[in-house]
Amino acid sequence: MTQNDQQLMRSIRELFAVSFQVPLEEIYEDLAFGDIPQWDSMGHMEIMMRLEEQFGIEINAETISTLVNIPAIYDYLKKDKHA
Amino acid sequence: MPKPHNPSSETFTLHLTPKIPIPEYLCGEVQSKLAYVDEGILSARVESNRISLVLRAHPGPRTPKLEAKVHRVVASMAQGAIKPKVQILEDYLHRSVPYSQDPMEELQKRGEVFAEASGTYTLGPLLTQLIAYFESLFHSLAHQFQAVAYRFPVLISAEFLERVKYFSAFPHSLSFVTHLREDLEIIDGFSQQAHCEDHSLQVPHDMFARVKTLLSPAVCYHLYFSLADKPVPRGRVVATAVGNCFRYEAINLNSLERLWNFTMREIIFVGDKDFVLDNREAARRIMEEKFEALGLAYRVESANDPFFIGEFRKQAAFQSAFQLKYEIRARLPFKERTLAVGSYNYHQDFFGRHLNITLPNGEAAHTGCVAFGLERMAFAFLAQFGFDKNQWPSEVKEFCS
Repeated sequence: MTQNDQQLMRSIRELFAVSFQVPLEEIYEDLAFGDIPQWDSMGHMEIMMRLEEQFGIEINAETISTLVNIPAIYDYLKKDKHA
Repeated sequence: MPKPHNPSSETFTLHLTPKIPIPEYLCGEVQSKLAYVDEGILSARVESNRISLVLRAHPGPRTPKLEAKVHRVVASMAQGAIKPKVQILEDYLHRSVPYSQDPMEELQKRGEVFAEASGTYTLGPLLTQLIAYFESLFHSLAHQFQAVAYRFPVLISAEFLERVKYFSAFPHSLSFVTHLREDLEIIDGFSQQAHCEDHSLQVPHDMFARVKTLLSPAVCYHLYFSLADKPVPRGRVVATAVGNCFRYEAINLNSLERLWNFTMREIIFVGDKDFVLDNREAARRIMEEKFEALGLAYRVESANDPFFIGEFRKQAAFQSAFQLKYEIRARLPFKERTLAVGSYNYHQDFFGRHLNITLPNGEAAHTGCVAFGLERMAFAFLAQFGFDKNQWPSEVKEFCS
């Protein structure tokens, strides 16, 4: 991982920590939908909306169902950065 | 500022311009939610840039508060809304059907429907026979999955509904059950004072006990509650049941299309993800053949549950994105609109997680159900085939003769 990649991963974890109001240490790099009670359907859509806001992107309905773990979100954002 | 005008001396129409435009695909959803904004609202019509409310009377000094509530509903549902991914799995909407009148008038003429209260109907022999016919179809579907028959109560526990987050998702449609407090003076007082005025029981509210039970809003919940806090026997369950369901719909209550008290037949699947999804799909394909034999005009398309405003935007988008719900929408030729008569549902592991229903490997169980509204099914059939039995599909005609 380059320094930029590490920064992107940290930003994602911080976004989760703030959204779900849990300590950053509880947001593992491989966290997935349903792993913590906060990441339920409402939590998922909250994350999608915050990602849109923070990263200035638009996530369509098809993509929402694929971003079900942090590695998938990381890959999506990394791809978007290079697009 | 509202632009008032008076269509009659008894009602008052309030026109509002939403602060943000309402996307076309949300107009119907917003309109249905405006029924719960204020008791003075008799009807609502929502277009992208205009909201019209017919009120019992001029709201007077309450106008700003009423407007603020309407704007809150719009903002909550429309701001940042994600356009749903509409997916059509079956489209037989344009099948030719022999009838095009509203069956309600004829049903009333024949004494086939008796409105006991708002959204609550007694059904006569013809409708009862038709419902029995559709029940036979759904029984045969259940039989193909070797579904075990259950009987569930009409009452449902408040504690269990809380566990599955029902109060935050659908507070507007709840129907509460109570009884007189166990106190001789209260019971005596009630027996002497109780009377009805304006269709309502006139007694002090403190005569009633705390609410511990409600009227059941769905059938499958009872199965999930019975499976709570233990492993699923052999890791999977297929069950079927018919039951009374209650969803309060305020001014949206409308003939047999939208009842407060209705009956649903469900076939319910509990197991791992593939088991539930495969069975939901198999049930859909079987029903496609049955509806084809019947000649029903309908479409199966993606849908969302009627979440209340606080959760609507996120939950509806989530259901759409994950393709959790498909509705069977039958054509109503008399109004060229469709009516949801059933649905194919997948809940992921929502009930498994919240009710601690586990699989043999310790993971939360996944659940799903196929559900059919029996009154709506019969109503849609009559709307498409009418009352002349010679125009009916032979199978239905024979069953009902």
